[in-house]
Amino acid sequence: MRPLPLWLKSGRVQTGLVIIFILAVCAIFAPYLAPNDPNEQNLLSILTPPIWADGGDAMFPLGTDSLGRCVLSRLIFGARVALTVAFSASIGAMIIGAFFAHVAGYFGGWVDWLIGRVVEIWLSFPPVILSLILMVGLGTGLRNVVLAIVLVDWTRFCRVLRSEVIVLRRRDYVSAAQLVGFSHWRTITREILPGTLPLLITLMSLEMGVAVIVEAILSFVGMSVGSETAAWGQMIADARQNIYDAPFNLIAPIFAIFFAVFGFNILGDGLRRTLDTRLTQTERT
Amino acid sequence: MRMFATIAKLLVKRVLTAIPILLIVSALLFCILRILPVDPAAMSLPPNATVQEVEAMRTEMGLNLPLYQQYGIWLNKLFHGDIGRSIHFRQDVTSLIGSTLPATIELAVIAMGVATVFGLAGGLFLFYVRGTRAEAVMDFLSILLLSLPEFLWSLFLLLIFGVFFEVLPFTGRLSPGFERPVVTGFLLLDSLITGNISTFLNALEHMILPCLALGIALSPSLMRVLRSSLLDAYQDDYIQQARLRGLSEKRILIRHGLKNAILPTLSLMGVQFGFLFGGTLLVEIIYSYPGMGNLMVDAIRNADLPIIQGAGLTYCIAVLVISIVVDSLYLILNPKLRVR
Repeated sequence: MRPLPLWLKSGRVQTGLVIIFILAVCAIFAPYLAPNDPNEQNLLSILTPPIWADGGDAMFPLGTDSLGRCVLSRLIFGARVALTVAFSASIGAMIIGAFFAHVAGYFGGWVDWLIGRVVEIWLSFPPVILSLILMVGLGTGLRNVVLAIVLVDWTRFCRVLRSEVIVLRRRDYVSAAQLVGFSHWRTITREILPGTLPLLITLMSLEMGVAVIVEAILSFVGMSVGSETAAWGQMIADARQNIYDAPFNLIAPIFAIFFAVFGFNILGDGLRRTLDTRLTQTERT
Repeated sequence: MRMFATIAKLLVKRVLTAIPILLIVSALLFCILRILPVDPAAMSLPPNATVQEVEAMRTEMGLNLPLYQQYGIWLNKLFHGDIGRSIHFRQDVTSLIGSTLPATIELAVIAMGVATVFGLAGGLFLFYVRGTRAEAVMDFLSILLLSLPEFLWSLFLLLIFGVFFEVLPFTGRLSPGFERPVVTGFLLLDSLITGNISTFLNALEHMILPCLALGIALSPSLMRVLRSSLLDAYQDDYIQQARLRGLSEKRILIRHGLKNAILPTLSLMGVQFGFLFGGTLLVEIIYSYPGMGNLMVDAIRNADLPIIQGAGLTYCIAVLVISIVVDSLYLILNPKLRVR
């Protein structure tokens, strides 16, 4: 058997992958794992405490919210929204950001100038505000949440990758490829992209964490998926109304968001340490 | 003297580039919000208005004109300090923003102070324990902290100090029974000016939790940047040189290491301070803090276009102003940039 690649040996990467795997299992098998229908209201048993507290009900292991909906089931189904947004938004933002970064860094000149100015305009908006405004324009719904995050966060990729492309473009093998007569497209995809790939993967992992947070923020203010889909941010908004009666309802979704973001962040950090060729050996261990 | 000239030059240049950015941003804002499926004319009339009345209102509000003309009119009014009236609150947007912006500025500035203290202390500590076993623990801890955004911190602190221990207030700016002095609009400043120490202390008490939440959430990235730039600085020869001259480690750290490592941290702080203005939004909602964030979310829930446009533009101006200020500070502190 071949030995594990270096990046898979890192404890951080492993931790991150395990967390993401757990969340993915929850999301994919939600209907089988959840004890109840996440939207079923049991108005006779609202705000029941979790099973280990006095008055807990075995039907609802983590208790119920203000409409008598099962907290655990909503938590499990909420992973669907969180992961869908995390993956699709980060892939979308990566594609747009990486495309403009490579074009700007490779061609330079007025193209670089123009893309740089567009990024500057984008950055003059706090991200939360921009995504809220976009959601107002686009309307609520899962697809629009993803679109809003992509439209806000592509600049994160663009800014960081552009400077990396500029460094790589000066390498001899890139000039060699150009001399041999490679087309611009082929030079970028065959010679430069392999060099930026480690950074790209790292950034994507971190972006997934950001996307989970942004989705939670948007659904907290009611500007994300509609109210018929369970999302962690909505659970927080609901629990905040009953903070004295059912504090645990607030802790559960907070922990879920933290768990997911931590998974993506630790994965990103591990990848950065193992994939970044410029880091010294001491910093890597 | 030359330093002032360079800074003045930079200021002029930055302000000149800020103008086209603002124009484009305002146009973008205008377009995004015009594709909304709501009719401001119908919204500003009573529900029993006839179709003819709505149509008359649309003409009066200029909604039947082409988009670029509407934008032109809006921009022209903007230059005269008029950004419209709120449909929902029936009040001028300028006065609404004027009454909420100071609260947000106070929150953001104090939170930034908290973040700076935590960030610098944490960064120095991370650097101090470099190479030891404590470093791995601290490093892990900083990723843990990095994964808790400000709105989770807000809820968390609110639960602990507000609900479980009931030691700190967590709604609004003042407890019931306190009179709100109005001089400049900045509550903390006003209560000091009018000599209301008890009001000042009460307001300060209300700000502890939101400021802590924002500050703690911002500090881990500052810590990490400060640590890595300190590590970079210590690679340079001047540190060895200072050691050879027999300076104490503390003096080397403060006078030589920190002085060189502080710049990247400062520039990150500038970026973060701009984003902090947006980040306050959630914290304001959670603590029912009467700032721009609450105004913005109210406006979004009521589809109140004039406020959304006005507030969006104000956020954008705030970010630009902060980045100009930080750039000038950078120039003052970095002697390498001063020489042409």
